[in-house]
Amino acid sequence: MRRLTALSPLVLMAVLALGACEPKTPKPPTPGGEVKTPASPEPGAPTPEDAPGDGGAEQTPGEPIPPVAEPPVQPATPPAPTPATFDHGPPGAIPAGQGKGYLDRTVWSPSMCWPLEEAAFANSQVYGHGGGLGPAGTSQCDSANYSLPWRDNFCEARSRDTPLCAGGAGHQGQDIRPATCKKNLHWAVAAEKGVITDIGTYTVTLTASAAPHRTYRYLHMQMATLAVHEGDAVAVGQRLGKVANDFAGTPTTIHLHFEMRAGAAGVTTDGKTVVLHTFLPPYMSLAEAYQRKLNGAACGA
Amino acid sequence: MRLVTGMLLGVVLAAGVLGAAVSQTRVDPATGAPVTTAAQLAARRNALVAGRQRTSGRVDWQGAVGGLRQTGGAGETLAPNLDKAAVDATRVPILLPTDADLTAGARLYSFGDYYTLTADAPGLGVSLSGTTTVVPLPAATPLKITPVGPEGATSQRTVDGQLISFVRYGVLYTVEVRCDAPTDPRCMDDNYAQGLAAKTTAVVMGAAARAEAGLGG
Repeated sequence: MRRLTALSPLVLMAVLALGACEPKTPKPPTPGGEVKTPASPEPGAPTPEDAPGDGGAEQTPGEPIPPVAEPPVQPATPPAPTPATFDHGPPGAIPAGQGKGYLDRTVWSPSMCWPLEEAAFANSQVYGHGGGLGPAGTSQCDSANYSLPWRDNFCEARSRDTPLCAGGAGHQGQDIRPATCKKNLHWAVAAEKGVITDIGTYTVTLTASAAPHRTYRYLHMQMATLAVHEGDAVAVGQRLGKVANDFAGTPTTIHLHFEMRAGAAGVTTDGKTVVLHTFLPPYMSLAEAYQRKLNGAACGA
Repeated sequence: MRLVTGMLLGVVLAAGVLGAAVSQTRVDPATGAPVTTAAQLAARRNALVAGRQRTSGRVDWQGAVGGLRQTGGAGETLAPNLDKAAVDATRVPILLPTDADLTAGARLYSFGDYYTLTADAPGLGVSLSGTTTVVPLPAATPLKITPVGPEGATSQRTVDGQLISFVRYGVLYTVEVRCDAPTDPRCMDDNYAQGLAAKTTAVVMGAAARAEAGLGG
C-alpha cells in the first residue's frame, strides 16, 4: 500500500503528460550529428506542456522506480578531506528509501571542468519538489530545488543497470538543475578536451582526448540549438548546448543529467574479476570542479 | 589518478588467483548471500595488483593477427568510408560488425590507444569502442554484475539503450546501442545488442596497429 501511495504521483503526472501529448509521427532516420528533434521553444520557465512525463526519472512512465526501503549505508571511515568547501552533502548520502548511495570518494576526473557556464544545483529530480516522488503539489521551480546544499544522486533508485550500486541498479549519473528554472537559457560546456562522438535524440556524448578517455554524456539539452555536431573537436569549457528538458518527445524536468563512464576493472560480488565500460560516480569530480570555478580558476588551468 | 594501461589480459588471468582468495567466503544466514571479509577483499586487491605486474599489459597481437587473417580483408569491404588516417592512427585492433548496412556510413574517431566508431540505423545509433586503458575500481566495493563466457561479457541497460562489454585480444571492447525512442524494443532488453556484439568479429588494423603487431606498414 505504501508503495502504491509513493508511486501514485509519478503515475498521475505521467497520465497528465500523456493526455497533453499530440500523436507523434515517426521521423525518418537521419545521419549522426544532425538535429533529430523539433525545435524547443524559446528560453523560459516551464509551461503546462512541460509537465515531466517521467517524473524526472528518465524512464518511461510504464517503468516504475523500484522502491528501496533500506536506510542509507554509512561510511566505515570518516570522509576524506576535499577542497570543495561550498555547501554540499557528502557523496553517497542518499536519504532512506531513495536508494543506497555509493560511498567511494574517489575523484574520478580530478581536473575536470565544471560542465555548466554558471552556478547550478545538484539534487534529485525524482524526490525533489515537483518530482514524481517528491512532495505532493509542489513545483519543479520551487526555490528548494534551486538552493544549496547539493545532493549526490548517483545510485538513487532507478531500474537501470549500475554495477557500482549496491543492488546493481540505480541512477547512472548526477542530475543538475541550472542556475534558474528556465529552459534553453543556461549553457552546458565541455568537461574535458575531446571529440563529440555521438548525438542522439536527447544525448550528447563527449569522448575525452586524454587517457583514460572518459566518456561524458550530457542529457536533456535543447537539441535543436546545440552548439556542436558529431565529429567536432571541442576544447575544455567550450559551449555544447543549453540545458532543457528534451527527452525524446516527452518532457522531463529542466535539468542536465551528467554521466561519466570509462573502461574499468574490478571484482564482482561473487569474486570474479571483471573488465567493463561502466558508469563512474561523478559527484566528487563535479564538486571539486565547481569549487575551482568558485575560486576563479579557469577550466583546463 | 590511478590509471592502468594495458592490464586487461592480466586482470583476466588473475581470476584464478582471486578464486583462491575467496574460496572461504562466508554466507549471510539471513539472505544466503556471500559475505566478504576485509581480509578477503585485501587479498583480492593484492591479487589484482599481482596480475597487473605479471603481465603489464599488451595487446594480444598474435591473436589479433589471427583474427585479421580470418577476416580476410572484409573490414575494408564493410567500412569503405572509414577515415584512413584515423584507422592508421589506432594502436589497437579495430573490431567491426559483419553488417555492411550498419557500417557503410560509420565514422571512426581515434585517440591512438582508444577508438570509437559511430554508426546509424533506422531509429538507433550504435557506438563501438576499443581501449587498452582502464581504471581500477575500489576493491572494497564489489560490482553487482555477472561477466559471462571466456571474454567476460557484461551487459548493462542504460537510460537510452544497452551497453555490452567484452575483452578480446587483451582489449576492452564495447558495443553500445542507443535508441531514439525510449520504448524501442531493441533497447528494452539486450537481445539486439548481444546479437550485434556476436557479429562484431571483423578485424581491421591500420599502420600503427600493424607496426605494433610486427606486420610492417
